[in-house]
Amino acid sequence: MTLVPVTYKGGIFQHDIVVDLIEDLGGYIVQKHIIAQEVVLQCFVPREDIELIRQISRPLFGEVTDSPLVGTEIAIVSMSLEIHHLPHPSCDIAEYVRRLGAKSNMVSLARGPGKRIAGLNDEERDVINEHDIAVYLMGNFETCIEYKMPTLRRGIEVPIVLCGGPDKEVLERIISPPVDGYVGNVGRFMRRTKEADELAKLDEIIAEITRVLEKKREEIAKDPLSVYPARLMGLIREQIPEILHVTSPTPLTVQMAGLRVKLPYDTFAEKVKKVTIEDGIMLGEVAEVLPSRMRDYIIVRVLPFSETNIAV
Amino acid sequence: MQAIEHFEVECPEALGAEYYTQIANDVLLDHNLMKVIDKLHIYIDPKVPVFVAVGTLKKISTRVRIGDFANVNPMETKITLVISEETYMAPMLKILWERFGKEKVEQPDRFTVILYNVPATPQEIEEIVVADPSESLHKDLIYALRCIAPEGFRLRSEVFTGTKFKFVASENTLAEDIGTLVADKFKLMGEVPP
Repeated sequence: MTLVPVTYKGGIFQHDIVVDLIEDLGGYIVQKHIIAQEVVLQCFVPREDIELIRQISRPLFGEVTDSPLVGTEIAIVSMSLEIHHLPHPSCDIAEYVRRLGAKSNMVSLARGPGKRIAGLNDEERDVINEHDIAVYLMGNFETCIEYKMPTLRRGIEVPIVLCGGPDKEVLERIISPPVDGYVGNVGRFMRRTKEADELAKLDEIIAEITRVLEKKREEIAKDPLSVYPARLMGLIREQIPEILHVTSPTPLTVQMAGLRVKLPYDTFAEKVKKVTIEDGIMLGEVAEVLPSRMRDYIIVRVLPFSETNIAV
Repeated sequence: MQAIEHFEVECPEALGAEYYTQIANDVLLDHNLMKVIDKLHIYIDPKVPVFVAVGTLKKISTRVRIGDFANVNPMETKITLVISEETYMAPMLKILWERFGKEKVEQPDRFTVILYNVPATPQEIEEIVVADPSESLHKDLIYALRCIAPEGFRLRSEVFTGTKFKFVASENTLAEDIGTLVADKFKLMGEVPP
């Protein structure tokens, strides 16, 4: 059974039918938003059952769309939090990937701007490495990007998509060793992205992120995970009721090969490790439970089958 | 853009110059500086790195008077002011209160102010100066130029006089002969540095 990420949009009336259906089919709901009279579900569903969900939700005016970014956590690396980069383009891009189902976090560097003076500290490096992918938003000059990129990517282990002012070909030429994705002609600008060509550029960024994530998914599929992260999400919610009291928008953030649990590590790490999955297998046996560099959260990294010899 | 007589961004990287033209344009529009700046020449060399902005300002002596944004309609014992732009409402009320006293000034809604039995003719009221935009002009200009300049360029040398300005920024110590570069850029516009 292959699970594919989709977004369901529909009216609030009888939406629990759809929720039950997805759960019965073996799918997982990653995020649920209720906005006025509308429900948006970001979920993983079996590929062969999408048509069935469409059929059943048709009388409820529900629509199911592919959203390849569901279940990913993306770091939007902005060079600073100054007016020069915010709200455009950093927020525009962070918000756009959110629309397609990703959970995006903006990581702003303490000493990101400039050429010679740019730097990346250990905390920033570790925070970026906790994500599935990092989208670097650089400036307009190829000289500066070429000069500072080696510093800013030091120690980054996740795939990088680089956005910058110069053309894509120029970016590909000046970055060595190459990063995973490039989007040209998106440097610093000080206007809202609302024109057709600007929106097309945002779509190009999404396409590049999707392509890189697809590649990462294939890599993971070669040595499958011991347990599906979205499944852990449901189990943690059932077995650690304290998570229901967390006010953060996504108390449990699903990643491609892990999960961020927004509970203090010191108090809850042991409880998380003891979450039972099935047949007495506990979470601690199939995943590493580590302290996150983001506040005092917990990060769960699911181990591949080859390391645990368990698949649940 | 038409309002600026000379507007040029010079940069060894052609695409960079194009982006910075756009940025400068957006920032100046946002801060309402288009009608104030007469000439603007920006030079950026990311290799050095250095950012230079030089330019001249238009003479603006347009002080805002009540007659500029309000219709003054005299009636028997009262004068009604119909406001077309709210921007200067607060400073205008403050001045009217000081001059005539709060009991004679009434504001029934957002766009109307009524003056009762005030010792002034409608013409005199139209002539009352409520604001001088040139006061905040330099503040806005400095802020705008800092927005346009690349953020990492934190070592700055700025000179703003009544009619001319020069703004130099870099992330390294500014070269001693930076004055020559500034003078060259002024020459391109047919001006001399302040």
